[in-house]
Amino acid sequence: MGETKKIRTACRSCHGGCGVIAHVKDGKVIKVEGDPDSPLSYGTLCAKCLAITQLAYHPDRILHPMKKGAKGWERITWDEALDTVAGKFNEVIEEYGAESIVVGQGTGRDYESHLYRFANLLGTPNVLTAGHMCYVSRVGATLITCGNLPVSDWNGGPKCIVMWACNPQWTNPDEHKGVDFWKAYKNGSKLIVIDPRKGFLANKADLWLQLRPGTDAALAMGFLNVIIEEDLYDKEFVDQYINGWDPFVERVREYPLDRVEEITWVKQDLIRKAARMYATTKPACINWGVPTEQTLNCTDCTRILTGLMAATGNLDVPGGNAFFVPPPVRTVSHFCRHKDLPKEQWKKRLGGDQYKLASRVAMITPKVAWEAILTGKPYPLKAGLLCGSNPVSTRANAREAYEALKKIEFLAVIDFFLTPTAELADIFLPAGTWLEQNHMADNWKRHGYVIARQKAVEIGECWQDHKIFQELGKRMGQDGWWDTVEDALDYLLEPTGLTWEDFKEKGYLKGDQVYYKYKEKGFSTPTGKVELYSTVLEKWGHDPLPKYTEIPESPVSRPDLLEDYPYILNAGLRTPTFFHSANRQIPWLREIRPDPIVEIHPETAKKHGIEEGDWVYIASPRGRAKERAKLNDGIDPQVIVAEHGWWFPEIKDPGHGWDISNINLLTDNSHEFMDPVMGATNLRVLLCNISPCEDE
Amino acid sequence: MKKVSLMFYKRDCMGCHACEVACKQEHGLGVGPRLVRVIEKAPAFIPVYCHHCAKAPCKDACPVDAISRNEQGIVLIDGDLCIGCRECVEACPFGAMQYEENKEIAVKCDLCVDRLAEDKLPACMSVCPTGCIHFGPEKNIASVFEQHA
Repeated sequence: MGETKKIRTACRSCHGGCGVIAHVKDGKVIKVEGDPDSPLSYGTLCAKCLAITQLAYHPDRILHPMKKGAKGWERITWDEALDTVAGKFNEVIEEYGAESIVVGQGTGRDYESHLYRFANLLGTPNVLTAGHMCYVSRVGATLITCGNLPVSDWNGGPKCIVMWACNPQWTNPDEHKGVDFWKAYKNGSKLIVIDPRKGFLANKADLWLQLRPGTDAALAMGFLNVIIEEDLYDKEFVDQYINGWDPFVERVREYPLDRVEEITWVKQDLIRKAARMYATTKPACINWGVPTEQTLNCTDCTRILTGLMAATGNLDVPGGNAFFVPPPVRTVSHFCRHKDLPKEQWKKRLGGDQYKLASRVAMITPKVAWEAILTGKPYPLKAGLLCGSNPVSTRANAREAYEALKKIEFLAVIDFFLTPTAELADIFLPAGTWLEQNHMADNWKRHGYVIARQKAVEIGECWQDHKIFQELGKRMGQDGWWDTVEDALDYLLEPTGLTWEDFKEKGYLKGDQVYYKYKEKGFSTPTGKVELYSTVLEKWGHDPLPKYTEIPESPVSRPDLLEDYPYILNAGLRTPTFFHSANRQIPWLREIRPDPIVEIHPETAKKHGIEEGDWVYIASPRGRAKERAKLNDGIDPQVIVAEHGWWFPEIKDPGHGWDISNINLLTDNSHEFMDPVMGATNLRVLLCNISPCEDE
Repeated sequence: MKKVSLMFYKRDCMGCHACEVACKQEHGLGVGPRLVRVIEKAPAFIPVYCHHCAKAPCKDACPVDAISRNEQGIVLIDGDLCIGCRECVEACPFGAMQYEENKEIAVKCDLCVDRLAEDKLPACMSVCPTGCIHFGPEKNIASVFEQHA
């Protein structure tokens, strides 16, 4: 028996970055502990991270490349796997052009840089990520509005926190962790929570605004209305740094509080109180979550919230919403080599003419990929490479995703397990977990840190994703890759004067934070100001001012559906044990949450004869899913809240029960349901009914 | 030696279950016994854990004296002596005593006695993101409430 070695690394079981000490004995990770010296997590960890050994050493994990043959999956060598993918891709390029290959990822294991580099060098503009409705959409909308993503500055000492559709302690903090929020709160900050559901934070809040799901943009307009009407805005900032304040004010006046109350269900007095608290308690930050992005209001809602930060003078101030300065490493965007995608290929991006903001941030919405596969229009997609992505579970209109991925001529996937999506592939490439990665982590985030994720072990024949893209790229004759993954890290670190070996010892780098950068440099927008009136959107032929648009399937827009579908489904309830469709096979985590949960108000449940723990069908005009009822009187009786991402690894047939409890069988991805510039799909709000499962 | 105890400040428990998995990992437990557990009644979360009672009902109930209290006040079970009768599981007023089906013995929180010997915090407490788990000298632990008040 050997000694136990302790390797300092960083988690990636969600967007992660929490500091971890991995204990390695005889070439195996036997335990993970929190790293008390982590500047982001201070030694704390979550259930997902703590269960990583059960994932890494899971008996179902695929540890070698495979191809699907006549008798099902067969083990092959990396050489054969890479040759097969490269050969097929070259055939497609020759016959149809590189644009007929789609390269995609899920929420990502911190390999965006390498995936995009591969796609750009391949020459395809068709990169399919979750970014159209998650985080990147927020980045895109803020880039055109104020030149950067404003991030809550917990350590800068906010006096008022608005937690807008977010619970960073519970699940996936995008930048800083929930721990820093918690410290700010415990330091006596006021807390305003915007959430249709009474959770831990709503219960703690000074003010809880229980809005109708999907009406965030209207509520934010209500805040602005109060702030303008009562002269609570920062006049100096507004005069000097906002483009189009007057027309913006005109637009805001279209949202008097009585109208906002009618739209959002939040009482006028409460909106007024919250707006006053936010505008007068400084510094204040707004911390936003993905529900603000996962409807057709995506871009506008982000822009209105940015307007709130700007109007109150809380942009780029300590304790407000800051623009964090990164350490001087090479950026993800630089590494991606976006500029090397030939202009004529850039123009071929699917949906690029329609979803111009998505195109600006180099991505497509899934709908246009499915359409291209299923209809061949505007041109066919013939081959695909999906990395850590399970669209048949996580994308709107799961059935269409399933049919498209079944139909595509050739599909390769990179993953840990044979997920329902991976089962549709021709080639399976086994990925390393974060325990098996050397990487300069968190470079894509906008919190001012990069972190050393250091390889603790190698398992089977698995390769870290970065290496897979690099070796596949080389196999296809792409110039511009390195001999090793670590050589690429040296390149990324070069401007800091450090090598990967140096950085590994150091653990992390932090940028030198400077606030009020706009006073010297203005904002990185065409006018140099915060563009509440967007010259970019105007140029693209869209409304330059943000507004609230009613969800296309709501009690307001579709009263005709209410007889059959009387409830508002709020889909996508997060859990602290799972990350989207991941972790359902992890014993420690599944023990905590054995079944998919749908939350129903007790009165509503009673009406349908549903009791706590009953299996329930949730149905929309498009499909149905089965989940287990949990009664919750902290939601409106007309609102149903359901978990997403469920499939059943224990069901051994290749479908793995993908269509049993899949809430995305109910969601709609038609173009009219999407954000007009970003192509954000509506994963959140639609009409549904519920009924007890008679067969259980 | 000062007697120590464990306490969860329930109002700050957000139900993330990190303590549960940290505990399973530390004690090498699979599915089944949950030495610490959080019951979800959103927006409230109710931690169930061993209080290391001064007069421990589990200890009193054990017919073979497998349960003892060490000099630090930590209530421990000796798996080799346990006959799996489950009297302690019945006796525990907090629902903290657990039964390990595979080994057919009772198991319980040992307050990470091995970690304490190395000057480390109990596993559950070391990872808790809200700091709602407290451990320390029995007499001082009530002061936690004052800190939070």
